[in-house]
Amino acid sequence: MIPGTAGPAAGIPAPPLDGPGAATRDGDHGPGWSGQHAELADEVTTALAGSLNLRRTVLRLVDLLRPRFADWVLVVLADHRLGRLSLHGGTDPTFTDSVARNPAEELGAGRVLRSGQGELLHVAADWPTTDGLDSLVPHDALRAQAVDLRPADVLGVPLTARGSTIGVLVLLRGGDRGFPAEDIALAERIAGRAATALDSARLYEDRNRVASVLQAGLRPPSLPRIPGMRIAAGFRAAADHSDISGDFYDVHGHGDDWLLALGDVCGKGVEAAVLNGRARQSIRTAVHFDRSPAVVLGALNSALYDDGDARFVTAVCTRVRPGADGGAEVTVAVAGHPPPIVLRADGTVEELAVRGIVAGVRPSATYTEVKDTLATGDTLLMFTDGIYEARGARGFYGMDRLTRLLPVYAGAGPEAVCEAVEQDVVEYLAGRPHDDMALFAVFCGR
Amino acid sequence: MPGGFPDAPGAPDPVARFDDALGRGDADAAVEVVDGLLDAGADPLGVLVDVIAAGLRRIGERWQRAEWTVAQEHAATAVAVVATRAVARRAERVPATRGQVVVACAEREWHALPATIIACALRTAGWQTTLLGAATPTRRLSQYLHDLGPDAVAVSCSVLGSLPATRHFIEAGTAAGIPVLVGGAAFGPDPVRALALGATAWAPDARAAATAVAGLPAVVPTAPPLPQAVAAEQAALELAHDRLAADLRVRWSPTARVVGTPPLDGIDGVVGSVVDQALHAISAVLLTGDTRALSWTADWAEALLAARGADPALVTELGDLLTAALPEFPLALDLVERHWDRGLTTSGHLPT
Repeated sequence: MIPGTAGPAAGIPAPPLDGPGAATRDGDHGPGWSGQHAELADEVTTALAGSLNLRRTVLRLVDLLRPRFADWVLVVLADHRLGRLSLHGGTDPTFTDSVARNPAEELGAGRVLRSGQGELLHVAADWPTTDGLDSLVPHDALRAQAVDLRPADVLGVPLTARGSTIGVLVLLRGGDRGFPAEDIALAERIAGRAATALDSARLYEDRNRVASVLQAGLRPPSLPRIPGMRIAAGFRAAADHSDISGDFYDVHGHGDDWLLALGDVCGKGVEAAVLNGRARQSIRTAVHFDRSPAVVLGALNSALYDDGDARFVTAVCTRVRPGADGGAEVTVAVAGHPPPIVLRADGTVEELAVRGIVAGVRPSATYTEVKDTLATGDTLLMFTDGIYEARGARGFYGMDRLTRLLPVYAGAGPEAVCEAVEQDVVEYLAGRPHDDMALFAVFCGR
Repeated sequence: MPGGFPDAPGAPDPVARFDDALGRGDADAAVEVVDGLLDAGADPLGVLVDVIAAGLRRIGERWQRAEWTVAQEHAATAVAVVATRAVARRAERVPATRGQVVVACAEREWHALPATIIACALRTAGWQTTLLGAATPTRRLSQYLHDLGPDAVAVSCSVLGSLPATRHFIEAGTAAGIPVLVGGAAFGPDPVRALALGATAWAPDARAAATAVAGLPAVVPTAPPLPQAVAAEQAALELAHDRLAADLRVRWSPTARVVGTPPLDGIDGVVGSVVDQALHAISAVLLTGDTRALSWTADWAEALLAARGADPALVTELGDLLTAALPEFPLALDLVERHWDRGLTTSGHLPT
């Protein structure tokens, strides 16, 4: 038996908020105490709708309730994945920790979680032990905070949403203010609304965890440092909140022999990103055996065709071999993709003359290669059709606009070139929707 | 010497050597200066603020004074990026113990380097940082806020044209209860514009940003809506921007009135900037109520044109053209009439 326990709070019939029985403990609180809180439940609903993040939602709930409604607030959430209870709040609203959940828990938080019924506990000032509190506040440091506030009333209300009790909202009022019946009823209303928001955030977090893990291999890679060269990329997905798309770029190799690949799978969004992942993997494997761009694209073509998928991929592969003289030999092959542009150090713009069939539509394909030499200050730029097919108020952005833009960025480095093109295209779009866009530049020099 | 950096006896001032590396577009030399300072025990925040950010500011000034071409400006900026990465590599060794901050630039803000410097400074101070690049769509920021649930958002805004989108960032952050720290040249020299836009806090530089983030509240209320009348007129002005800018470019022709030595990059390159900047300044004043943005922009335009050999009186003419172009925008019209010419007798302000 828990000393001072008044029994499950939910069992107490709640009088109407402004009804004749509203003030149950005369003198405990000034007039209008409940009236101040009447709008709190609505505030909880509005405020908690602002975030789908579990941690932020908990923070906001604690912030709304303390000190207006309770002197101390703890949110206990059941983490079914880990079989633990996560604890948020206390004196420091940003505090979080977790404790093992005892499935046989018969008291406090465990019982509220299992029964979905609230509990009210009075902790007297002179009570020698913390009996009862240890089950409602199952954490030593947090319990010490609650004990410091003695005498206190501790209310544990269930956070029940969509038929499941997902946690417990633990509210503490110090002194002899206590929780009159109408405040218990209000606490339950607040908990009901908060629970829906917390449950949505929990669902979002679960889904997001799955999505993040699956997406990890589809995001653009971080770029390595190539001796004597600088590389940079630009990337913008058609879905402007997304980090994955049908465009990709990758770099493989080491020492003085590198392969840079950029490609575009047909379609957009997640479906395209999955195919993009397959194409990148095929290229990665092919490069392992041979860094010749024609061989790599031939392997990509066969791998995609053998998959039996009707969709195709366009790609450009550039092999870069930095020389001892500060320059670099480049070998380029394309599969249905616009050839790279070379921006010379003096501002001259050249389009490399190389063509090839898209990958994935014929059982086998042969690709031709073109060679070029980059001198110090030269930039080779690869890009997808999302760049020149961007549609603004005056039609397509176009290759002409791209080649006119580049000369002033001669020698400015690959970051400046990618940023300038991305900026010019996005400003040209002026907020209109666009296809996936990718840019990949390699610059000769430091 | 800023920051009082430790230095080898007899070696030139590291700040001067860094500027020299920027001028030559020499990334290796710039990294050498930064690494040398850090090896000698310099505070990484000091290196970021007093060497790299200060160098970046001088890059902008040199372009404004027409001493550098656009390509030189970009090459120097790229060198500053590489130098910042050198500091960032060391910052990665600091344990991240203080929570998480998302650092971003709103749409129309293409200066990613100041945000990179802020992210590096916060990382040095022990914050885990997620840097979203230049011109981040608000939906992308929101996605990250839902996914990460950070302790704060830090927004870098260098150009007036990005202030409206920065307001959207402030709405996205505060709607989720997340405090939003702002800074950058577009906010001017004090917190007036930041607070008018509903930001939680303002910081003048990376060092101050590191201090300010530590003092932010855990939860903030949703930023209150902007006054309806100005918000509506600013939105209409934004929609009409392309039409107004094209019209002004046709009517205003500084190219015909070059009086001094021929400018480095040609004057055409700056005409578009000045016209866009003037319209963005009007928007900025509508949203923030800070009329200095308008008079300082006129001032900046005057310096920009003068440095390129054009008649400074052209700025007054642009003011008249703006007045004539804005009959549908009564609040904007009133602002131009009262504040455009005010700055023209003084000079030296950046368009903040």
